[in-house]
Amino acid sequence: MNFLPLWRYQNQLIDGAIVTLELTVIAALAGLLIGVAGAVALNGRITPLRWLVRGYIELFRNTPSLIQIFIVFFVLPNFGLKLPAFEAAAVALSLYFGAYSVEIIRAGLDSVPKNQIEAGQCLGLSGWQVFRHILLPPALRNAYPAVTSQFVLLLLGTSLASQVAADELFHVAGFIESRTYRSFEVYAVICVVYFAMAMSFKALFAIIGLAAFRWPRRR
Amino acid sequence: MALVEIRDVHKTFGKVEVLKGVSLDVEEGEIVTIIGRSGSGKSTLLRCINALETVDSGEIRVEGERVHARMPDLKAFRQRVGIVFQAFNLFPHLKVERNITLAPLLTGRIDKARARALAEDVLTRVGLADKIDAWPEQLSGGQQQRVAIARCLAMAPHLMLFDEVTSALDPELVGEVLKVMEAMAKQGMTMILVTHEMGFARNVADRIVFMHQGRVWEQGPPAKLFANPETPELASFIASAK
Repeated sequence: MNFLPLWRYQNQLIDGAIVTLELTVIAALAGLLIGVAGAVALNGRITPLRWLVRGYIELFRNTPSLIQIFIVFFVLPNFGLKLPAFEAAAVALSLYFGAYSVEIIRAGLDSVPKNQIEAGQCLGLSGWQVFRHILLPPALRNAYPAVTSQFVLLLLGTSLASQVAADELFHVAGFIESRTYRSFEVYAVICVVYFAMAMSFKALFAIIGLAAFRWPRRR
Repeated sequence: MALVEIRDVHKTFGKVEVLKGVSLDVEEGEIVTIIGRSGSGKSTLLRCINALETVDSGEIRVEGERVHARMPDLKAFRQRVGIVFQAFNLFPHLKVERNITLAPLLTGRIDKARARALAEDVLTRVGLADKIDAWPEQLSGGQQQRVAIARCLAMAPHLMLFDEVTSALDPELVGEVLKVMEAMAKQGMTMILVTHEMGFARNVADRIVFMHQGRVWEQGPPAKLFANPETPELASFIASAK
């Protein structure tokens, strides 16, 4: 076992980790937006829209996300949408994370008692105001643990983007391996990096959760 | 013109006709208590007055304006008609102050600078000025219900509806809520209450309305109604409520 040959590749490893973080954060934010919008649509009254969202969820939750990335990267160019590797992976992972987020956030919204909506309406608030100020905060709190664990799965799942040669951590590791033939060492190193990133996010989310959700839980 | 005019209102849920032609007037400043057994339609009637339910036929007018779920100024209407629920329905994620000021701020009734003063004012009226920075969960049921009343008062409603507001409370907490309501009654607020508190109905209400099987069965001043019920249904209800 010899880690020394990896030393000169530290900048590549750092860059790869940064790309992994970028990919994760972009897909998570876009996915969350999809999640909120999709959850609203699923609870809405427009039936064709509900079917559309339902179909989207089932499609993306029941197919390998590697193939989803392939389709965005290799197939969409045939329809005139040509995306570079990073962007293609970001789109595919956003849709993947979004599909899970819809269900998680919808469960969060459903967990808020209906009488809360009524109370808001009776104070003369509009539908949007009720949603934004009364429904969403408790819903997000209830969805938060599931969203954060899904986020960590997303972080680890970005390694699939290596298969379309996006310059994220796993792809960088493959490159270093091909140069040094130190397979075990390089994958051990990025494993530690993934682990450290995942644990850091967990700690960060715990702090954010404490700051954002300060009200006492229902007894 | 009465503040609330209810004319031959019918309401059906599925196959169950809950309201079978209810007519009722409530004058400005009047305290009307609706009593009756479970399922007699009293809560449904109350919810129709606030357009939480839409009547199937007949009509309800408040301040001359016809009430229904699609009325163009429903939001403004609801600001004039406050309702307090059995389950308090405070917003758990907002402190007491914000529970009270959220709607006045969002609907543009007041600006930010005046928000805290408004919360202090209405909380003083329900005797909870010291709880302005508490979370709802930190309050007892009685206190939560008083905050819910204060939250309504902050909208300066012309009419207040109370839907069994003491039914979810421990017996020792009922009194503090009734006291607040009694004070409001004395200040001239028009109030319609659905309640099982016969003592309150007897002592505070101007008029008792007894509902039975989806109809106004009998109504009149409390002294007369409790002493000399005209119908056997009311007589048996009063006997069972004692």
